[in-house]
Amino acid sequence: MTPSSSSPDVTDSIEAELSRIWGELLDLDPAGIPPDTGFLRLGGDSVLAVRMSAMVRKRLAVELALSDVTVEITLDHLADLVRRRASGEGAARALPVEIERRPDPSASFPLMPLQQGYFVGQHDGWELSYDSAHFYGDVGLVGVDGDEAADALEDALTRLALHQPMLRARITPEGEQYVLPPDSPGAIPRPRVYDLREAAPDEVEAHLRAVRNEMRTTGPNPLDGPGLDIRLSLLPGDRGRLHTAMSLLTLDGWSATLLNRELLTLAADWNAVLAPLGVDFGDYVTSLGRLRDTEAYAADRDWWWERLDGAPAPPALPLHTDPRDVRPTTMGTREDRLAAERWTALRERCAAHGVTPSAAMVTAFGVVLARWAGHRRMLLNSLQLNRLPLHPDIHRVIGAFATTMLLPVELERGRTFTELAGDVQRTFTEHAAHNLVSGVEVSRELARRRGTTRPIGPVVFQSTLGMDAAMGERQAESAGPLGELVFDDFHHQLRTPQVALEVRFYEVREEMAIVFSLVEELFDADQVDAAFTDLLTLIGSLADGPGWDRVVELPAVGDPEGATGDLSLDRLPERGADQQEGPPADELEQRICELWEEILGVPVLDRATGFFSLGGDSLLAVRALARIAKEVGTAPSVREFLDAPTVAGLAAAVRARLEGSRR
Amino acid sequence: MTVIGVLGGSGTVGRVVVDRLTEYGLGRLRVGGRDLDRAAAVCRAFPQATAEPMRVDLHDPQNLREFCTGCDVVVNCAGPSYQVLDAVARVALAAGAHYVDAAGDLAAIDALESAPPPELDERAAVFSAGLMPGLSGLLPRLLATGPLARLDVYVGGAARIGELSAVDALLTRGPQFGTALAVWRDGRIVPGALAPLRAVTLPGFRGRVHAWPFLSVETARLAADLGVGELRNYTVYVTEAIPRALAAAWADGGPAERHVPAVVAAADADIAATGPYYTLLFQAVPAPGQPAGPDRPRRLLLQTPDSYALSGVVAAITVGELLEGRIKPGARAAAECLDAADVFARLTGDPLVTAAELH
Ligand SMILES: NC(=O)c1ccc[n+]([C@@H]2O[C@H](COP(=O)([O-])OP(=O)(O)OC[C@H]3O[C@@H](n4cnc5c(N)ncnc54)[C@H](OP(=O)(O)O)[C@@H]3O)[C@@H](O)[C@H]2O)c1
Repeated sequence: MTPSSSSPDVTDSIEAELSRIWGELLDLDPAGIPPDTGFLRLGGDSVLAVRMSAMVRKRLAVELALSDVTVEITLDHLADLVRRRASGEGAARALPVEIERRPDPSASFPLMPLQQGYFVGQHDGWELSYDSAHFYGDVGLVGVDGDEAADALEDALTRLALHQPMLRARITPEGEQYVLPPDSPGAIPRPRVYDLREAAPDEVEAHLRAVRNEMRTTGPNPLDGPGLDIRLSLLPGDRGRLHTAMSLLTLDGWSATLLNRELLTLAADWNAVLAPLGVDFGDYVTSLGRLRDTEAYAADRDWWWERLDGAPAPPALPLHTDPRDVRPTTMGTREDRLAAERWTALRERCAAHGVTPSAAMVTAFGVVLARWAGHRRMLLNSLQLNRLPLHPDIHRVIGAFATTMLLPVELERGRTFTELAGDVQRTFTEHAAHNLVSGVEVSRELARRRGTTRPIGPVVFQSTLGMDAAMGERQAESAGPLGELVFDDFHHQLRTPQVALEVRFYEVREEMAIVFSLVEELFDADQVDAAFTDLLTLIGSLADGPGWDRVVELPAVGDPEGATGDLSLDRLPERGADQQEGPPADELEQRICELWEEILGVPVLDRATGFFSLGGDSLLAVRALARIAKEVGTAPSVREFLDAPTVAGLAAAVRARLEGSRR
Repeated sequence: MTVIGVLGGSGTVGRVVVDRLTEYGLGRLRVGGRDLDRAAAVCRAFPQATAEPMRVDLHDPQNLREFCTGCDVVVNCAGPSYQVLDAVARVALAAGAHYVDAAGDLAAIDALESAPPPELDERAAVFSAGLMPGLSGLLPRLLATGPLARLDVYVGGAARIGELSAVDALLTRGPQFGTALAVWRDGRIVPGALAPLRAVTLPGFRGRVHAWPFLSVETARLAADLGVGELRNYTVYVTEAIPRALAAAWADGGPAERHVPAVVAAADADIAATGPYYTLLFQAVPAPGQPAGPDRPRRLLLQTPDSYALSGVVAAITVGELLEGRIKPGARAAAECLDAADVFARLTGDPLVTAAELH
């Protein structure tokens, strides 16, 4: 054997190793994987593709560019690519940072952009925001061992919190995060158990309603405790209910699935041990911070910035009320499931048409929105759960990794669904290949350019289709003393700020769930129902087959037409900034100028200058307001501040408060 | 009748001096330069026939003496000023004339005062009668209606740089002129206290600009005069082309002339970026506890499309003040002997001033 990289042995070993990786990811016999069939057709998807590049990075020490690893790639092409990258040829755009363990795992680290958004939301920073951004779910249990269940759950949660540091995370009032050492008081979240095994049926019902109502409207807040609240209701007849509330500040959707799996695995078996993690969320965030200084990051930013001025508006959905004027406490839901056989059929048809199920679903959502809004070109916001493949363990780490990506959707008339989905998938892949800059940052810049403080992407798409496979083994249904989970008896509720309407697609065992979460106060309920039905019908026709080749019916209008006088989501009125320009008019305005200069590092000379046009972001706004409150005695909420985010506007708000409190 | 000699009257600055002096009707003009045709062309532009050309080279003492003889005031708009220093002033004073220089820094005043000619007891020699130095040290005085905690000075924009001024820009470095990155704080110069501001927005400037901290001798003297707690002085550029060209030239060393084309080209690039404009922005922060009110302005903003031409206006106004007897004899800087309110009022009415705000 020669050590040369061109020797046939080594070449063979690349193919062999790649086959093994694909075999593991796709649950196939490595020897039987056809070299010329695309990853997608073999059952892969974009989530698995990310995991694949992490495995390639680890096992073959070859860095694949994010844009290289598409779902269409074949084993042959991949081997080719790996060989070229290994020889340093065309190493176009690999991740320019290495992940490193931080010397002090309890050191504080910054919030990710989306976390910042949630953080600011909890400070009443946005219209459409809530006291907590969180997800609540409860699921039925049968065959519960009532005497053992409580201990088993507590033990499992303890072990899990030792394993997953972010379950011990806290967030500081300044908007930083850190992990408590396991032995510090309150670090390990404890479950709460309600024993209603002897209770009467109406008592049980009242209890469940009360718990659900409480947990839906008051989420766990990592500013003053764990970001996780787990409760167990023990019910008559060996039944039970497991209630889980998770703060989006510390856990994303992927983490929620992980948490359920690992918790149940540990509860099922006192002796179960989870494979140790070689990296934590803080390590990831810290290495992403270094990414900002790289050319690759600058290149992505330039790519986005160039496109911003031509970016479309959100879909022009007709509104009842201006989002600024509603104060929702919960979001409304519409949901349905695609039964197992139809979901299997849909997956197969997606593969046959060369698109991922996620791409097909965002296209379907786009079509429904276009018909509802009356135009075909629109900006969607997509929640991205893909983690950058910095480490092979990264997909097993709990944390708030999620980010967003703005996705312009342009649906052409006279085309079949297959063609539209192909277009959308291409756009999606192209945009996702520039994901070093998050959608939160892009939205901030877009808002700055449009001179608005209104939401930029209030319509959200989220798909975790394929995630189960990416996580490896499937969800346990039996959890030892906790009994069996009844997934058909599942109740859930999402509260996420700055969102008017969010669609979610995810797998529940063999089925696909389709969910609308929305702020009911904004929309006409009949229109929401009609849109949801339209979506279900379209997805049904895709699962059954005929939907693919039919020309899709779409409105004639591309961009929404000018002022109709009616309120719609694309055209929210701006509050007029009527402050006169000029130097600060009094000592308070002068004090604000100096504080902003200190926080933003730029001169602040005019009372009409906007905080955001000077380079401020919402997190800095929270800090600036905290400082004002400390120095002057009072400050408006971030949300009030957003109405007039200028020196004069802030001074007026402070003065109004001071006068109000004097009265 | 009063005779005013304008040395360099055919140049960018000088031509405006000739124009405004004619308009103010202050006397007969003598327009000098090495090229008689150029000077004559300037004179022909004024049909009143109150101006006559004269060939003169300031490096020829005999020549220069002839030019100054018979003048009540000599205005110097020729350069480069780092080379001229007090040379023309001495000849003008000796010929019995007052002297006004559209340029000339503290270095020129020091040179004259190091061996003061006896005529200075009766005549005035006013240097820095331009925009910067000049207005930059004069106008902020309008904001000092009470004690000031802080004063910010931002001057700059996009302007063509002539070859002569390019040489001046390249050579006006060093402690006689100012200190880069320094701030004036609590009565002294604190070096290295400020950082360049990149891509910032400032009132009166277009789009995003770059501001380089440079505490000029003129503003440091202003700060000491007014007793301000802190003074920040920035030169503003619309792109980074000029600071880059100057830095490259200084790094390279060698004769200044070699780098002139690069500086001139950088200025042209700036004009291409935003169109020509020049802004003087002064903003004051009153000391704590001071009353606010319309009689206590905090900002002065002046804009012109042509900073060179405006320097000519300042020089012409200075001549007027001299002839009115409002400037005492001796060697002084325009900023320290003109009346800020008068000059601001005159500028407000001048067509070269496109914005003049005091509020
Ligand atoms: N304080 C400020 O803000 C400010 C602003 C702008 C300019 N300046 C200064 O004002 C001065 C003039 O600038 P500019 O842009 O007007 O220059 P310019 O356009 O080149 O004009 C120079 C004038 O001086 C004459 N001249 C040059 N060398 C001479 C010599 N040896 N003897 C006699 N006349 C001579 C030229 O005529 P001939 O070539 O025919 O001799 C011309 O009339 C420079 O020192 C500049 O730094 C000051």
